[in-house]
Amino acid sequence: MRQLQSLLFVIGFFFLGTSASDYHEQLLLRPLHPSLLLASFNFQSNTSWESFEQQNFRYFPRSLGQILQHANTRELHLRFSLGRWDAESWGARPWGGAREGGTGVELWAWVEAETDEEANGRWLTLTNALSGLFCASLNFIDSTRTTRPVMSFQPSEGHANSTLENLHLLHGTLPREVVCTENLTPFLKLLPCKGKAGISSLLDGHKLFDASWQSMSIDVRPICAAGESDCQLQITQTIDMVLDIQRSKRPRDNPIPRPVPFEELKCDHSKPYNSHDTCYPLDTAAQEEGWSLSQIFGHSLKGSCPLATDGVDPVCINVPHARHVFTSNGAQEHKDPGGFLRCFGLASEGDFDITLPQQDISEKAPLEQPLLYAERSFIGYGQERGGVQAILTNPSPTQSVDFVYMESIPWFMKLYLHTLKAKINGLDKDVIQEMYYRPALDRKRGTQLEVRILIPANSTVVLTYDFEKAILRYTEYPPDANRGFDIAPAVITIGNVSIRTTSLLLPLPTPDFSMPYNVIILTSTVMALSFGFVFNLLVRRFVAVDEADQWDVRSVRLKIAAAARRLLLRFRKRAVVKKDQ
Amino acid sequence: MSAPTEDEVPNPLEAEGSSEAPSNAVHIAPKKKEPPPESPESIRLRSLVIASFWAIIILVGLPIWWRTTTIYRASLPMDQMMEWADGKACRPVFPLRISIEAESLQDHEAQHLLRTTQHALDDLNEFSAHHLRLQLSQPANASISITGLSAGVAEEEEVALTIRLLPGTTTQADLQAYSPILDIYYTPNQIPSSSSSASSLANYIANTLRGLFAEEQAMIAYLLSTSSAPPERSPKALSPDVAESLAKWTTRSMKYSRTYHITFSLFTPTATPSSWDIEAALEEHMKPLLASFSEISNFTIDTQVQLYATPGVSGNVLKKEDLSGFINAAEWPLSPSIGGAPTVNFILYVGDMEVEGGGKSWLIPQWGGVVIQSDMSDLRPAMLIFSNQLMSLLGAPEAGSLPLRLMTLVRVRSLGLLLKASGTMGSLARLTLNLPSISIPRSVADGVYTTISHLRKACDGLGGKEGLENARIAEEAAEKAFFEKSMVAMVYFPDEHKVAVYLPLLGPVGVPLVMGVLKEFKAWRKRRRESRLVS
Repeated sequence: MRQLQSLLFVIGFFFLGTSASDYHEQLLLRPLHPSLLLASFNFQSNTSWESFEQQNFRYFPRSLGQILQHANTRELHLRFSLGRWDAESWGARPWGGAREGGTGVELWAWVEAETDEEANGRWLTLTNALSGLFCASLNFIDSTRTTRPVMSFQPSEGHANSTLENLHLLHGTLPREVVCTENLTPFLKLLPCKGKAGISSLLDGHKLFDASWQSMSIDVRPICAAGESDCQLQITQTIDMVLDIQRSKRPRDNPIPRPVPFEELKCDHSKPYNSHDTCYPLDTAAQEEGWSLSQIFGHSLKGSCPLATDGVDPVCINVPHARHVFTSNGAQEHKDPGGFLRCFGLASEGDFDITLPQQDISEKAPLEQPLLYAERSFIGYGQERGGVQAILTNPSPTQSVDFVYMESIPWFMKLYLHTLKAKINGLDKDVIQEMYYRPALDRKRGTQLEVRILIPANSTVVLTYDFEKAILRYTEYPPDANRGFDIAPAVITIGNVSIRTTSLLLPLPTPDFSMPYNVIILTSTVMALSFGFVFNLLVRRFVAVDEADQWDVRSVRLKIAAAARRLLLRFRKRAVVKKDQ
Repeated sequence: MSAPTEDEVPNPLEAEGSSEAPSNAVHIAPKKKEPPPESPESIRLRSLVIASFWAIIILVGLPIWWRTTTIYRASLPMDQMMEWADGKACRPVFPLRISIEAESLQDHEAQHLLRTTQHALDDLNEFSAHHLRLQLSQPANASISITGLSAGVAEEEEVALTIRLLPGTTTQADLQAYSPILDIYYTPNQIPSSSSSASSLANYIANTLRGLFAEEQAMIAYLLSTSSAPPERSPKALSPDVAESLAKWTTRSMKYSRTYHITFSLFTPTATPSSWDIEAALEEHMKPLLASFSEISNFTIDTQVQLYATPGVSGNVLKKEDLSGFINAAEWPLSPSIGGAPTVNFILYVGDMEVEGGGKSWLIPQWGGVVIQSDMSDLRPAMLIFSNQLMSLLGAPEAGSLPLRLMTLVRVRSLGLLLKASGTMGSLARLTLNLPSISIPRSVADGVYTTISHLRKACDGLGGKEGLENARIAEEAAEKAFFEKSMVAMVYFPDEHKVAVYLPLLGPVGVPLVMGVLKEFKAWRKRRRESRLVS
């Protein structure tokens, strides 16, 4: 636990203590089990409030700064995430979950405005502009996907008191958005070193979006050191990814996995059936995989970013000191006394690489235990009703956890609030401390539910509620409607730590989309049938069968034949007359 | 059970048909019982039934169908729009007032000089739209007009240029750099005697003025000649050289806007320099120029530094054709500003490159300018180049003093906007006529009326700042009306589509209705014939 505290201290020092410097970047590598690697990139730049107001941009990206000014946004948080963080085997989330969003895109911002309508207008401007900047469908965050959370998010402390009164928090999610390379490219463009030098040169769309889990974040917040006079605007960009070491090591031109060659197999020779063609593989948990930066990321690090002048080592790796770590020339190694962290200072020129050979070592860097395990799933069946169940487990044997559970549910998933129940360890018990609920309006806004829950130590809370599935209009279905509708992840906030569940896929009753023509044909036929029936009844004269006009095909045929013959006869006569003449 | 089967009925027919001559075949019919004669009431009832069905269809069905499927087309003042587009509604005239200050001359001498100079000017000028009018400036104590011109109007209207006649030793003209004043020195023997109809001084003044305003005249003539105005408005054919340089001028200058956004960017291919002293440079070299523009346009400025920026072309000597690819649009963050104002980009690139032929800067039409400089310690040369580039991007003429250039810019911009808005009106009118199936929402009609009223105001006040403002509003409203979203996104229903929707209903319903009418009509004819036979 002491090592863990020292690690947290070091990270916290970098995180908080660098506000004086203008630019700072750091990469933290942390091997996870089994055979995974968490890479956390952190980029931070500051600009003084005056130069931001005068629009003189140096490290702060101009494109983003202009958008923030145009939309009167005082604080911005944007997240692009993909995959699922496996808390059971990977431990606590990087940055305490503060730098990650739910699957897809998540955006929340404090907008300065006099009224709610003005705030909505500026929010619309903001989402549209960001949509263009990041090549994401952020412009689809409309009023039905926007909520105004009450308990879950708090503004940073740097706001002036005068602006704080007029700040409006708006929050929107796009769980369906697929995060990909086109979002990474504008993200890198915002960095002063642009992926050309420093740790950002490792970032590559092929590797990043091949990760088991990844999250990109952008946070813009004001920080005031001493009073309102000395304010700065800070932009923090982070990228966290969990890479599968074996998968990343495969060459790009030959990515198909192949079985280990026979010579390299490690067999348990004590088994009686062990022979030249039978092998029981040995347990390799004690053996650390060998890897290097250039193998994992496709290329080595291209020198340090010269703008980061704060003397903080840009690359750190969280492994026990007993583990062999080899670096390329020119790098200085600094070992943390805690025993599980070492950092490297880079030479300004030349490539940098870290190599960790294969090693039999039982000592592992300790994993931090998360404060809460959360999972959420659908229950129920059928096309009409359904339910949601969230299982929240407090693993700590001593500490109880007080947290806010927030859901923003689309309007077509109609929540029945009276069915909301929380069971603790299987027993009905009142654990809900406080609740904020804003019901949905059809096609106007979604449901917003925030619940404050207290979980005692070593307990599990199961939160369930039922909902009804709405039937949408023909044009409201998205393309590929049969795939289902993505429901945004729930956000769990425990002080500064936040956890997000996975998103859900809700199947709605889907119509047959060739329906309009079928309807036209069917109704027309019915109407024509009834009309013809009524009309004929009114207009026709009813007579006995033998009095009726007989409709006979043969008589028509005879009539036509006779007419033809008459014509022919006349023609022939004329010909004869002509001949006579 | 007892009903005759189909086979039984035609049997006698066949027997008869085979035995008798074919010519009788027409008369063959099965022998059948005649139904009892219909009562006149039932015949009347049936006709009424059919008539009422048709009445409902025509009186109720058709109007409903018409109302529900018709497209809303607001009525537009087509004639007025076409008049504006053809240039019939407005005859652009720029009467420029030029005031002469001649304190050293006698009153009658000055008046005489004015008359002769005006004569000389009128003789020189064959372009009626652009007209220079001289007037004597009023002495501070004089209350009555001493010129033949309407002094009341002249007081309100701006004086484009003031000529100060000063006695000197040689005849020379001296244009002041920062105010619209032209000093003309004359020798005492040049004062015209009241009897002579021409004088060398008058000719000299006329020629100087003509030289000063030649570029503006050419610009206006060019704008008129490229518009759809009647040809007699642009009388003199411009020489090919002038026309070419003016064509370049139009492609180079940006669209007029009340606000422009200027971005100054420092691009460097390496990590240094990562900062520049742009604030001081802007304060010293750019802000005064922009302040003088304040009556025409406002400016917002931002600056940025971008490291590790490689240009789109490589090599130390840039060829002419490389210049268009120099801006690396894919990588350089020069995204257009959000908001309504167009962005002017000025790029300072750190490097040793050189354009073929020795230049280090160039202008990108309607976009901005690039300066390549290796030393960042002094930003003055770059700022001076940027100022020049800004002037030409905004469309200012190249010669003359700054106030004159700005005034010319006002007049030329007003005319350009006026012609553009008129042209848009014409396009909208033609579009409306050519596409009868697009809808025209009310907002378009409103926009058209706004445009026309402001065009009228602009045309009346052409040449002043009011005229520019009105022309800008007119142009904005015209563009907004033309690019109205609901009109541009035309709903296109092909005819097959319509048939597929209507036919399933109209076919089965229409056939009994039409057949009913036909049958009734036939029966009516038959009855009439029979009744005639009987009578």
